[in-house]
Amino acid sequence: MTLLTTMMDQSLDEGYAAAARARGEVGRRRLPTTTRGKLLLGAGLAMAAVVVTISGVNAHDARPELAKEHDALVQRVTDATAAADKLQHQVESARAQVDAEQQKALHDGVDSGLASLDAAVGTGAVTGPGVKLVIDDPADAGTGGGIDPRTSGGFSGGRLRDRDLQLVVNGLWQAGAEAVAVNGQRLTALSPIRAAGDAILVDNRPLVPPYTVLAIGDEKVLPAAFQESMGGHYLKLLQDSYGIRANLSGQHALSLPAAVGFALRLASPLPDTPGTGAPSAQPSGAPATSTPLSPSASPSPSPTSGTPAPSRPSRTGASKS
Amino acid sequence: MIAVLGLVAGVIVGLFVQPSVPPAVVPYLPIAVVAALDAVFGGVRAMLDGIFDDKVFVVSFLSNVVVAALIVFLGDQLGVGSQLSTGVVVVLGIRIFSNAAAIRRHVFRA
Repeated sequence: MTLLTTMMDQSLDEGYAAAARARGEVGRRRLPTTTRGKLLLGAGLAMAAVVVTISGVNAHDARPELAKEHDALVQRVTDATAAADKLQHQVESARAQVDAEQQKALHDGVDSGLASLDAAVGTGAVTGPGVKLVIDDPADAGTGGGIDPRTSGGFSGGRLRDRDLQLVVNGLWQAGAEAVAVNGQRLTALSPIRAAGDAILVDNRPLVPPYTVLAIGDEKVLPAAFQESMGGHYLKLLQDSYGIRANLSGQHALSLPAAVGFALRLASPLPDTPGTGAPSAQPSGAPATSTPLSPSASPSPSPTSGTPAPSRPSRTGASKS
Repeated sequence: MIAVLGLVAGVIVGLFVQPSVPPAVVPYLPIAVVAALDAVFGGVRAMLDGIFDDKVFVVSFLSNVVVAALIVFLGDQLGVGSQLSTGVVVVLGIRIFSNAAAIRRHVFRA
């Protein structure tokens, strides 16, 4: 309390009173009259003004600094994305080169097996009939909202998460899809579907809704089979309960790109078992089920479709780019 | 007249020269501002009290800024810089308030 009282009482610098006492003049001297005094007062006021102004200018500059930083970060993201795209193009052209060299090195007969293997694994672009499944968040789902309505108890709407997409894609595999791509990202056995914040990552590339899932399979059988599968039921549940919008349509001709980042680092194939001609490490594109894919050289039909020829993916990757 | 010129010159210097403040000094700028304001208000009150002294004004201004910055610097070294700068701002703020109140009494007689 004493401290506060002292602070309140002695708010004026004691130096003024002391100086006045020393001069013996109290209550008369208001402004300095001598030139030296005036200069001193001017200098003091100038210093005060400089300090205040510099600080103000500094605080004013700090805001654009933040904006500049933000812009620089955005620029870095854009640059990195562009660099990644460039690298992807390089990968694609290098792969085309490798394919061409392979064609040259291998003789016919073996090649058809290789092509179908490529298509099945996902490293070769494929085309064929199939279904197009467009999934989107509900219309009322905020784009930047941090609160997930599903966890906060509201049932009005929701947002598609990575787990949902995993289940839907697995449902497609289960229904007999032979090749699946999500927003142009071809799925392989090594493609993760994960989440980073609110974004869904496929093959570590962030996706933007709506999510377009392309699946090659029998266009007559696949939609019904999908709707009967686990993933189909789950998607129906999402539609009914959370307002997720989904549209499944059969397509006569779909073309799926080759997967980009497919490289085995540690796994190496076993020595060829005689007779099959295919590596015994079965390259299956389906993490959940391996039934739809048969990487053997013969054009075997997928289990759910009875028509062998049209549903089999044909290879277009080598001619691309 | 010279005082007003000094004020204007200070503002102009701060605005147009735009001296680049070293990053090490930046945390002490707000404290310096509060100390400068305290000195200015004290000077005005002293003037109204009739005991203004130019030397005391300049010296109190400089010492206020230096001591305030020193206290905050010391606090930074001890890891309590933000608390100490709060303390400095509180003390100087109270002084500014009571000086402003004294000035108000002088000017408005209320």
